Amino acid sequence: MGNILIVAEMQNGSIRESSYELASFAQKIADPSQVRSLVIGESVTEEANAFSTKGGGEVTVVDNAAVSNYSAEAYRQAILAVIQETNASTILLSNTPSGWDVAPRLAAALDAAFIPDCFDIDQVDEKLVFLRRVFNGKLDARVEAVADIVVATMQPGATAPYEGTTTGTVSSLEVSFNEQKSRFLETKVAESKGVDLSKAEIIVSGGRGVGDPEKFPETIQPLADALGGAMGASRPVVDAGWLPHEYQVGSSGQIVTPKLYVACGISGAIQHLVGMKGSNFIIAINKDGDAPIFEIADLGVVGDLFEVVPALTDAVKSAKS
Amino acid sequence: MKILVCLKQVPHQDARLDIKSDGSWIQEDSIKFEINSYDTYALEEALRIKDEKEAEVVVASIGPDRTTQALRTALGMGADRAVHVNDDSVEGSDALAIAKILAAIGNEESPDLVFTGLMADDGNFASVGPMVAELLEMPHATAVMSASLEGEKLIAERELEGGALEVVELQLPCLLAVQTGINQVRYASLKGIMAAKKKPLDTRSAADLGVQELVGTGAAKIKVQKIYVPPKTQGAEILEGSATDVAEGLVAKIKELGLL
Repeated sequence: MGNILIVAEMQNGSIRESSYELASFAQKIADPSQVRSLVIGESVTEEANAFSTKGGGEVTVVDNAAVSNYSAEAYRQAILAVIQETNASTILLSNTPSGWDVAPRLAAALDAAFIPDCFDIDQVDEKLVFLRRVFNGKLDARVEAVADIVVATMQPGATAPYEGTTTGTVSSLEVSFNEQKSRFLETKVAESKGVDLSKAEIIVSGGRGVGDPEKFPETIQPLADALGGAMGASRPVVDAGWLPHEYQVGSSGQIVTPKLYVACGISGAIQHLVGMKGSNFIIAINKDGDAPIFEIADLGVVGDLFEVVPALTDAVKSAKS
Repeated sequence: MKILVCLKQVPHQDARLDIKSDGSWIQEDSIKFEINSYDTYALEEALRIKDEKEAEVVVASIGPDRTTQALRTALGMGADRAVHVNDDSVEGSDALAIAKILAAIGNEESPDLVFTGLMADDGNFASVGPMVAELLEMPHATAVMSASLEGEKLIAERELEGGALEVVELQLPCLLAVQTGINQVRYASLKGIMAAKKKPLDTRSAADLGVQELVGTGAAKIKVQKIYVPPKTQGAEILEGSATDVAEGLVAKIKELGLL
């Protein structure tokens, strides 16, 4: 197996934790001497130095104002230059909004194998096998590359960040950036409106299984009220326009850590789990016994939420009176 | 203005997922198919541009005979023309090969805009959009939650973590891989469905697009060894019984947690 290149990602002036997770994967599957990293951004040299001693190995830095903000074209150019320089045959990125944006372009540019959003890498007979999920989290898949070069992205949080020490040098690569057909304008931070779910102690969330916008005030809200908690929703509910975005729990909504999370008619796609897996206690109600949510729930009911939720609401009210 | 919209027909969201005996994929023979949810949002976004200015919306899809249905649905919603790549030799293609086929169509069509969904509900690879952009040498944006045209430029808002948005400006021609929820998808009207029957739907092969060497199992750079039901670790304790029994059990637990 040839060299591995980790494409590290900066966030708010530091290298993100997910990049240290890539280091864990790289150090697991390769000899330390084969691990290379790229740190790209503006004023990133200090972070790059730290990364080289904490799993990054031999680090190449592309430090340039042109890459102070993410840009697919600029990142693509820099990463391709470093892939060539390091002779990498395995390229790892995190499956973040930047990672999933540029990684497929890299694979197409290199005519390489592309295996995204993986949660593990196994080594079987000198070959790398990537584990990922399909059908929105319902099934797992083992995928291998059948090409000389493979670009893979790893799910943030799939493994622990690297905690060892490595030795490596840090060198700089000058990239003369081509004229671009795209440019970064600004980042808009999400406005906080309505209930701050990240502070709620009890959350009752409804998903696609609720079926109908009226059923939220009719069935889900009453349970939330009875428990003295807040109502939340999964992404499909917000996409359908049944509830506004401030109710969304998940990777592109709010991350919540309540004492109790009740998931009603929610299948448990990864993007939602990311938002609520930190809950202290999870109850799931879903008519599909195979729904992925039952894997992380503590207590579950396989049944019709339109029978269970009203019964639970009544039982809670009785218990409180 | 010409907009090319790439669609994929995927197993219906609630379809039973029975794995084939060789573990290579799911059994597709007796399940219902639908247009990939992300792609319906891509099509709707194109149709909204067409509602406001003169535009030709061309939909393209790669798949077997059943894919014609998906394309007729798209035409019924308002697309003008469809291209169906119906070719057994494409079977076993990876995302890059699919992108090469779509790029070949893109090179023929020379669209001003290419819209795809961010990912497909079956494979979840989220690759074809950016790969097509790379092959067509266009700028692109993924996870797009809003798009507005300003002359020869497009301003797109990309979804970041936590609901934040990254605003980017792309020169035309460009490609957008849209996120669900970017708009509200229209239904095909009865009038639209009737009109769809007469709209052009061309059937193509990999060979006449010049990509026959680049597609199919032989050209694929990845191999799915097997798919399987995720091994259950501990999982939830499941309460059984009537709704009232179950409610009692849940209340008892909630009390135990000190939350009642």
